[in-house]
Parts: sequence; structure tokens; C-alpha cells
Amino acid sequence: MSDTSYGANQDTVVAVRQITKVFPGVVALDRVDLAVHKNEVVGLVGENGAGKSVLMKIMIGLEQPDEGTIVLRGEETTLRDPSDAIKNGIGMVFQDGSLLPNLSVKENLFLCHEADFRKVGILSLRAMRDAARELLKRVKLDIDVDLPVTEISPAERQMVEIARLLWLSQQYGKENPLLILDEPTTVLADAERNRLFSILQDIKKQASVILISHRLQEILENSDRIVVLKDGKNVTEIPASKAKLSRIEQLMVGHTFSADRFKEDEQATPGKVEILSVKNLSKAGLFEPLSFTVRQGEIVGLVGLVGSGKEAVCNCIAGLDKADTGDVFLGERKLPSGSPSAAVKAGIGHIPIDRRSEGLALMMSVAENVNLLVLDRLKTAGFLSPAREKKNAQYWISECQIKTPSIGTLCANLSGGNQQKTVISKWLSSRVRLLILDHPTRGVDVGAKDEIYKLIRRLAKEGIGMLIMCDTLEEDIGLANRMLVMKDGRLVKEIESSSQKKPSPQDIIGLIV
Amino acid sequence: MADIEQADTAESQDVRKRLIRPGRISPVYFTIALLVVVGLLFYLGNRNFLSLYNLNTIISFSAILLMVALGQMCAILVGGIDLSVGGLVSFISVVFILLIEPLGYLAYPACLLIGVIIGYINGNVLTRIKIPSFIATLATGGILTSLAYVASSGAGAPRPVNLPPAKYYVVDTIVNGRLLTVSKVLYIGFAVLLIYYVILRFTSTGRNIFYVGSNIKMSWMSGISITKTRNIAFMLSGAGAAITGLLISSVRYGGDPMVGNAYILNSIAAVVVGGTALTGGAGGVINTLFGAIFMSMLDNGMNVVGINQYFQQSILGAMVIVCVTLTFDRTKTPIVK
Repeated sequence: MSDTSYGANQDTVVAVRQITKVFPGVVALDRVDLAVHKNEVVGLVGENGAGKSVLMKIMIGLEQPDEGTIVLRGEETTLRDPSDAIKNGIGMVFQDGSLLPNLSVKENLFLCHEADFRKVGILSLRAMRDAARELLKRVKLDIDVDLPVTEISPAERQMVEIARLLWLSQQYGKENPLLILDEPTTVLADAERNRLFSILQDIKKQASVILISHRLQEILENSDRIVVLKDGKNVTEIPASKAKLSRIEQLMVGHTFSADRFKEDEQATPGKVEILSVKNLSKAGLFEPLSFTVRQGEIVGLVGLVGSGKEAVCNCIAGLDKADTGDVFLGERKLPSGSPSAAVKAGIGHIPIDRRSEGLALMMSVAENVNLLVLDRLKTAGFLSPAREKKNAQYWISECQIKTPSIGTLCANLSGGNQQKTVISKWLSSRVRLLILDHPTRGVDVGAKDEIYKLIRRLAKEGIGMLIMCDTLEEDIGLANRMLVMKDGRLVKEIESSSQKKPSPQDIIGLIV
Repeated sequence: MADIEQADTAESQDVRKRLIRPGRISPVYFTIALLVVVGLLFYLGNRNFLSLYNLNTIISFSAILLMVALGQMCAILVGGIDLSVGGLVSFISVVFILLIEPLGYLAYPACLLIGVIIGYINGNVLTRIKIPSFIATLATGGILTSLAYVASSGAGAPRPVNLPPAKYYVVDTIVNGRLLTVSKVLYIGFAVLLIYYVILRFTSTGRNIFYVGSNIKMSWMSGISITKTRNIAFMLSGAGAAITGLLISSVRYGGDPMVGNAYILNSIAAVVVGGTALTGGAGGVINTLFGAIFMSMLDNGMNVVGINQYFQQSILGAMVIVCVTLTFDRTKTPIVK
């Protein structure tokens, strides 16, 4: 770590100095420095809760720092809100996008700035269209600018957002704007991801970029400099050319990873008893009739592209969707189709992909979330007993190692990994027999991933059957005892994945695409 | 923040001591502070404001408002709103007087049942026909108001209905007068408060109201019956409004088809001034208790210091905005719809 690296020089576009931000109970940022120079891509990495998002929110004026200063092109500045930030040439492309879906590409590009295309008081659509095409050329995008945003791909949407930010900063006369890309690839398929990064190299010629991603490989390949944050503090920064994946992971977490990343050694041999059996299940337009089973303590990976039907299969099993034909048996018991409450009562748990909107009551406490499914067991004489509620919550918080200041802390104030552990403990507490894990490590940092893998292994040893869909093929292979490969709504192959003999991703990728 | 405890250094602990503000102050303390400040202002305006007689009046009025506000709170907690409470209070107020003649004491449980049934209808318009509660209850509230008019006078202009003096003993036994020097209205208010508290705090149904209000999709996926939970919340709302209607008619020895109008704004105001989030899922009975006391004090205080009766509505409206500004935790809701 050199002293000059955080320091600003004449090439610096934006520098934050000694930024501290405190939320009740949590120091989110502790005297953090960050400088971004002209025509530079800075990769910002850190675990969930390391302070990346808060730092970015401060840089676009969504949050105000408690201490510290923001220096823009050599001048100390206060950013009151995002529109203030964009006037100063700082803009952010959000994870989930901020375009208005029903408006066309050109309308989105010039939203709130249509006045520039006025001719005798009336909007000139032709001028707007021409300007939009010109603008999209800068990000190498060639699409019909009259299409509504819903009809273009996620990658194209991000480029439209980037083009809009470039244009806005130009309007405000700011050279070399700073673009913040927050997890831009989470929603993208592989091909689209490559496309985004190839364009990023062009954008670099006219702007600076801060790139945030959980996929460290991407950061390594696409940034010039990597800044590591941990627990709200600067850890170090390295030129990307000198950085190694393992080294960065180590810096982020504070300890090295063993080669045994998915805890394959702890993989249990499944029992004989079949917990789940699916017979001729089908749903028109989504997947064709298929049958499979999950045994006690077995982890079955469902692999396939988005749209292969794997999510729909899980939804039908969990009762979130009604199947057209076929039956789902949990043990000997046939489950009614399309009833989540029947599935829950029978012992099917579901860890959703989007824990914030589907997994948690964010504005309720950790204890209330953990106890949700077992209220009936926590009663004395027909009424909920605060003492028993507290006991149950404390038990699961320590079992699942949820790091929380107290059992009364609101879930919204936990980091992603701890939120996920809260969702998992909610289901464990209800003595679930089959657990559907929909991308359990999505948006979770490396350290918490490790703990979630441990937890999954332990559940398997306790005899819980699991149906899992992962973020990467490696994760599927690493975790699963057996894999079911789906393609275009059909179950195409079943592959064993014992701890001694794991298939390689190359073996499987051909079946998927 | 992940491993902050372990990764601590003496230095960063120092920063924390310097900067951590005390944990979020519960909105109910703002309400209590407001209660004291505004109360003192009225006292400065008229020394009689804090007389024992006047305080007793305020408390009795709060008890009446509290009933409908507790119900409203349930509807708000589950993520809806109940705009039919005004119509329901008026309707019950009239029907109760009409029912005393044939039913005697049984008019009380009968009216409570009517309130619950109307709440159940409101709930079903929301859960089965899937019309947002804002519109659904606005409509049922309109229907109830008109039914109250019709019940009071048939085809003629709406008018108050009076209880025949021969039947005064019914309301006198249950509601009017004192028991052990405390007025009976307060006993009723306290009992109902306790029931709502127990339901919301110590039953699964009560907890489910919070879960559904907090995150309806998560609740559905976790097997909570959304239909049942919402229906019960609106039934609790109907019951609260019905009790308010019963108390008003009992105290006045007569029903009034227009008496409920004020309770739409006042009940919502009591709930939000107490600090219950309009977004649902957060709040509680104690909050609403102080909200109801505050609103009643405001009502009473403006009369005591002699503010023009017709101007009072303006002050009331302005106060609601001020109070909600002070008590509502807006940090959690950056964009208000």
C-alpha cells in the first residue's frame, strides 16, 4: 500500500477523503479514501457490508457523509442529491436499472431534458431520434430507439443508461464524467456480459468508471486498479495487472480459502428414503412432463439456462404455481397443486432468489423473522410466549451464526449474508424436510458464502433433502450429490456428482446450451 | 456489517463512540412530547384546560376515539386503510338506538356483530374481488352513510333519532355513570385496548397481520393465509368502529346519522400521529393510545381556548401534517406515494 495511491493528482476526477458514515449501531465507513483518475476503471471489491454501496451512495449524493470531504476536479464539493451529482458529472447505473419500462429508448435517454428538442414549442421527435442514434453510437449500440425499454435486453438497457449519463454530463459541460456500475453483470447472460465489457473499454476513453462486482474475475480482467474495502475501511489497492484472484479474496475476507471451496469433503452419502418424488409433473409452455426423486440428505442440483424450466419446476413443487399434470409426493403424502401453505405444512421450505422482496419482512426484527413459521410451537396456554420466542430466536441465531447486534434488530439493518442466514434459519426452525434453494449465495460475499456452504452440508447430514439452483456451474457441481440437467423445458440428463468423482463443468456445459 | 466485532481495533472503537447516535427513538416518545408541549400551550391560553373536570372530558373523548382508531390501526398495519369507519360509526349509532326498543341489552352485541360483519365484507371486497381497500372502503363507507340516513328518517331528510326515556336504563347500566368514581367509558376503553393489545401481541393471527403488512409476498410464500389475515384485520376495524358508534349513542341517548364523518380523518390521524407506519407492518396499540389522546386533546383544547369552531378543522388538518412530520419515521420511506 503506497501513500501516493489514495492521493489525488492533476488527473484526479473525483476524490473522497477520510469519509466516515455511521448508522445507528453500525460504522458503515471509517475514514475511507478513494480517488478516481481520468480514463481509469477502478474495481471496487469487498464483502457484503464492507461499505461499498454506502460509499457509492455518498458519491452520488444519496447519502451525506458524517465526516470527510468530496473533492471534484480539485474543488471541495457537497453533493446534495443525485441530480446534483450528475450536474457535477457523476452518475450511477443501478443493479436493477432505473429506466422507465413503458417509455421508448429515446424518451428514456432524454427524460426530463426534452426541452432541448423543442421546435417552436413542440417536441421534434425526429431531432430526438437522430440525437438518440448518435448517442447510442458512442456505446456501440445499434437498436431501434422507438422500442419501449421492456423490449430490449438487460445489457442493452444498461448501455442506454450509460449513454444517458454520458450525455447528461456533456450537457452540463463536464469532461470525463465518472460512471459507477453497481453489479452490472448480475442480470446478464455470458454473451451480454462480454459485450458490456468490450464497450467498457471504449467508454474508458471518454470517462472514468467505478466497477463493483461480486465476480472477482471480471474485476481483474476489466479494471486498471483494484481497491479493497473491508469492514468500512480501506484495506489496500493494487494495480489490476499485479493482482491475483486468491490474493484479493484473501484480502477481502481476511483469511485464505482452502482449495476445498464447496466443502466437498463434508459431502454426505444420501440416505435410502425418498423424501420427494415428482411424477410426470408438467406445466404448459414452461416444462414437459418429468419425474425425479430426492432422497434423505441428498443435494440435487437443477442445472440449465434461465428459461430452461428449472425455476418453474421448483415453483410447482413449492406450490407457488399450479402444475398442469402430474403429482408431487413428500414422503407418502400427495401435495395439492398450487398451495404454498400446504407445501409449507408438509415440510417444504423455499429459499427465494430475492430475499429482500420474497424472503424477509425487512422492517421486522430478526427474531420475528426467525419465528415466523413456528409461532404455534412458541405458545403457552394458547398465547405467544415472549420468553419462548426469545429462546427460539437466540438458538437459531447462534446455530446459523447470524451476526446481529440483538434479536430485536431489524432485518433491513443486516448485511446480505446475514439476511440470507436469517431466511435459512426460519426454515430450519420449522423442521423442514425438503429445502428448495434458489441461488442461495446470490449477492452474498465470499465469507458468508463459505458459511452458507457449511450450513448446507450440515443440513444434508441431518437428513434434509435439498433441491438447489446455483449462480455458477462450479457451485452446482461442488455442492450437489446428483445433478439434473434441464434444457428447453425437458429433463435431458441425470449426472452423479459424488465427492470422489466430480464431473467437470466442460462435461455439462455442452448439455445445457 | 459482517465481522465488525472481531475486526475491531481500539482506534475504530473510538470513532464509534464519537459518532454513534443513540438508537432510533421510538416514534411514540415524539407523540408524548407533542402531547406535553401542545397541552402546555392550551394551558397558557386557558388555565381551566388542566382542571380535573376538563381532563376527565378529554380522557373520555379519547376513549371513544381510541376504539375506532384501534380498528383503523389494524387495517393500516395489514397494509390497507379503512375509509368506511365514518359511515360505520354513523350507521351503528342510528341502528343501535333503533334496536334497543326490541332487543334491550342485546342491542350491544348485535351492533358489535354488525360491525364485524361489515368488516368481513370490506375484507372480502379486498381479498376476493381484489379491489384496493382505499377504494373498497370508500365505497362501502358511502353505502353505510346513506343507510344511516335512510334508517334515521326513511324517505325524509336525515335527522337524529332519540332514545325513548323509558329505555335510558339500558345505556345507563352499561356505559353512563361511574363505577368506583371512574367513569364506565374508561373501563370499556381499557378493556378493549387490552383485547387489541393481546390479539396483536400474543396471537399468531395478530403477528400475521404484521407479517402481511410488512411483506405480503413473503407471507404468502411462507404459507400464511393472506385472505384470512386481511379479513380479520378488517373485522377488527369494523368492531372498533362499531364500539365507537355504540359509545357515542349511549352517551348522547340518541343516534345521529352524521356523527361518524369526523372519525375518518380523526381515526387515521390518531394512528399515524402515534407513529404507526402508513406503509403497514410497524406500529402498535400503545402508539395509537397516545395518538388518540393527542387528537382528543387538540379537539378539546381548541374549544377551551375559544378558537372559532369553523376554523378548527383547518388547524386540525394542519396539525395532522405537522404531527405526522414529527412522528413518522420518514427515513425508511424515501419516496412517498
